[in-house]
Amino acid sequence: MANLGPAYYAPYPVATYDGLLTPPEGKALLLTDIVDEEVAMREVARVMLTSENATIFPGPQVLYAWSDEAKKKATLIKEMSEVLNAKMIPMYDYRPKYPKIDPEVEINPNHPNLTIWHNNIKAAIFIGVHCHYANVALKIVRAETDCYTVGMCALSGHEDAMATIRDQHSEDLARFIEIAKEVKQELGK
Amino acid sequence: MSVDIYKINPEFRDIMPKDIIDLEDNATWGVEKRGISDLTDKKELLEEHSLCAGCPESAALRYILTALPKPEDTIIVNSTGCTSLMFPHIALHTVHSLFGNQNAVASGIKRALEWRFPDKVKDVVVLAGDGATIDIGLDYTLQSFFRQEKITTICFDNEVYANTGGQESGSTPKGQVFKMAPKGKVFDKVRMWELAVTSGCQYSVKLTASAPKSVAKVVREAIFIARELGPTYIHLYTPCILEIGLSASEGLWEMKEQDKDRFVSFKYVSDEAAAYLKELKKIRSSIMSRDTSMAKDSIKIRMPALGGQGAVTAAHIAATAADTEGYYAVSNPFFGAEKRMAPSESYTRLATVPIFDRGGSYIS
Amino acid sequence: MSIKDMTKEKNWSGQKLVSTDYLLFEAPREKHFMTGSEVTKEAIKRCTVDASVSYPITPQSEAAHLIGELWAEGYVGMYFRGENEFGVMSEVAGCAMAGARTVTTTSGPGTLRAMENFPMWSGTRIPVQLILMARGINSPLTIQPDNLEVTFMLETGCMIWYAENVQELFDMIIAGFTVAEMPDVHVPIVTVVDGFFVSHTRESVMLPADDIALMPYDPYRAPLPPIDSEMPPGRFLRDPFVMKSNYISYATHASWQWEVRSAVDRSIPYARHFLKGLVHTSGDQDAEVVFVACGTASHQAKEANRELTKLGIKSKVVKLRTIRPFPHAELLEATKSAKYIFVPEFNIVGWLDKEVTQSLYGKSEAKIIGRPRVAGGMSMPVEAILHEVLEHINEEKGA
Repeated sequence: MANLGPAYYAPYPVATYDGLLTPPEGKALLLTDIVDEEVAMREVARVMLTSENATIFPGPQVLYAWSDEAKKKATLIKEMSEVLNAKMIPMYDYRPKYPKIDPEVEINPNHPNLTIWHNNIKAAIFIGVHCHYANVALKIVRAETDCYTVGMCALSGHEDAMATIRDQHSEDLARFIEIAKEVKQELGK
Repeated sequence: MSVDIYKINPEFRDIMPKDIIDLEDNATWGVEKRGISDLTDKKELLEEHSLCAGCPESAALRYILTALPKPEDTIIVNSTGCTSLMFPHIALHTVHSLFGNQNAVASGIKRALEWRFPDKVKDVVVLAGDGATIDIGLDYTLQSFFRQEKITTICFDNEVYANTGGQESGSTPKGQVFKMAPKGKVFDKVRMWELAVTSGCQYSVKLTASAPKSVAKVVREAIFIARELGPTYIHLYTPCILEIGLSASEGLWEMKEQDKDRFVSFKYVSDEAAAYLKELKKIRSSIMSRDTSMAKDSIKIRMPALGGQGAVTAAHIAATAADTEGYYAVSNPFFGAEKRMAPSESYTRLATVPIFDRGGSYIS
Repeated sequence: MSIKDMTKEKNWSGQKLVSTDYLLFEAPREKHFMTGSEVTKEAIKRCTVDASVSYPITPQSEAAHLIGELWAEGYVGMYFRGENEFGVMSEVAGCAMAGARTVTTTSGPGTLRAMENFPMWSGTRIPVQLILMARGINSPLTIQPDNLEVTFMLETGCMIWYAENVQELFDMIIAGFTVAEMPDVHVPIVTVVDGFFVSHTRESVMLPADDIALMPYDPYRAPLPPIDSEMPPGRFLRDPFVMKSNYISYATHASWQWEVRSAVDRSIPYARHFLKGLVHTSGDQDAEVVFVACGTASHQAKEANRELTKLGIKSKVVKLRTIRPFPHAELLEATKSAKYIFVPEFNIVGWLDKEVTQSLYGKSEAKIIGRPRVAGGMSMPVEAILHEVLEHINEEKGA
């Protein structure tokens, strides 16, 4: 069930249904496989560079300048979007928004599928979103869309994403960008 | 760090919506002088809400938010009910947990924040309806007073369980027919503002939300006293126009009526709190000095209205006329997110000298 | 005492900060002789606890006021007596939401009075530790060891661990904070012991020195921002209405609930490490007679195992350390030799029997016997267990 494509109807979690959990320290999760971080980084870069309307969803932890790490990450994420030819759509807070969201320019964890549908997004990176809301959103996205989701997490990762890389701090993002540049060159993108 | 959580990293400014950018640029953070006049030209902390058109609660919440002395370090604890429909849209850290436990949750938050941030003031304000404050949550409300928790409790008294469909509450006046009181309520309205006094509040005030400036003043006083001395209580009439059969335009009228009746002003200030307020006033008078340096030879016109397009137009006409005649003139309206028939105000300033003052003309 | 006294090396009470592995597995230990309540105090003393709120009626033990002493002694940051069980569980929620490592204790009737809070705790992802010293519920009133209240806790979304004795309680409290605070877990931990049999029972226990303590809790690694106005987003309601209205999808509530259950599942690898396994087995590994039990019932089963050995009957005891997450895989593995599975319990409803039966349904051919069951504070004599075993075995043999 942690495979790509709509999981059918309800936001079933892979942790409970497939026994997949967050990857151990130093490792990443690609669909159902625990792999080395670099393997996952390459695959994420490849998917982002070859999917329609690849998008990065930066969350509150990187959108706002509340810490030095957040400031560093902001610069890196901007660069990442350029390297990956990806758009950025912010998840700037988690409120159930009234009266409705504008799916063109924002994503909301309570109905993230609307933004993905509207923009026909086939691959997306969630970064800087608090883990609970990332997990709530990722389950809905998996249930409702065929978007390839990536959880790029500063903590333990997200098994409901198709790919999850954990403990991603600014130095790791810099490394990912270098890998993405290589992949981009290989792909001739 | 608190204000920094609203600052947008420059890399993302171009993808952020306007209301978030406005929060950083145009809301009043970390300034001593903020208040009702901010409603006219500053970014409000309440973005939007889904209450009924003309609901006095929405106006009252906006007055309260403008009156918070240090919003970037204020936590608001809420309870289930109509108010919780507005809470996701408040640009602060807020909590909704259960029904009626708001003063208990707030006690825990306040004490934990005092422990974690010994050098920082973090205000904790409880804001809930009469059902949560006076009926189902009464135990927790009173016990937090007994324990002298340093929190401000604001009760939005609409005298009914509104969100659940209009059932009698302890705060309903005697004789009123509501659901669950089909023959009329048989006992008197619970006098919570008095219970607050006997339960140890340093400050207890009953009023309606008819006068924004009064609400704001009381909120500021209550928060300042709670910071230093102990629990404070504000009992605020915000009628449920839907349940008492009024139209969207009649909320303000109803509050003004009740200013003379069930909600005739009640104010208790403990001796200690009174002395503290006096001290505070001395300090603040220097900060508020802007008011005394306002242009002389000027007239300020305030036009309260319902719905308000008429008042907006009138203010603009008056200002335009004065301008045409060669006077200095400024006019501006203030209204909220309601679609129609909400309380609104417009201001016109006319003078023979340049006018720098903007916004609501409450402070004189 | 102030949190400002804390450094990178020492907490505010001057204890050296150490890793959970060091505290649990490496630090030298010395023998002490104390009750479950006293050992609770000793565990919390070594956990760099920010906050505790307590009430006097239904803590079946003196643990709650011993935590108060820790506060007076400068080990616990903040402490007060709340008004009642419902209020205290809400106050505790407030402390934890505001970023404090928080602990409290409860037992039977108060647990039910506070009940509405527990699913709220897990839903709002606070890693509070609730030490539950089971004493049954009214009516009629009992203060004796009966663990009926645990059945009401099973579906609250909290982790539930069950300690067998004073030693395990000490170790579980320390492991409990650690696992509950893992960013991908971050749900409440209910650490259960049987009242009297553990809370009031004095026995030997090995403790590390009290000049070391756990690293402090870092609320900024939580899956939701703490309510302290120090972390974005600045506009943040914990936790909003997400029910269907004109602006939200049903899926949020469903996904949210699944996420809480997933979080409990994610604790499994951590719990395996810090508890040294979700289950512990003893006796003959290939026995046909298997006892599945937790808490004091597993102690009694071990006595029965000894007596059965004397009678020439092989048996095995599978002690469950975690009830939520339920150790399905470990239970199946540990019972694969079983022909008879006995689930002895200290309550009349047999909640563990139901859990075991459900877990093994379609996977085990063993006969599952929810006996013996005692309640209301009755002890469970070995003879009662032997009686059940012999009756079933002999019945099968046509005797």
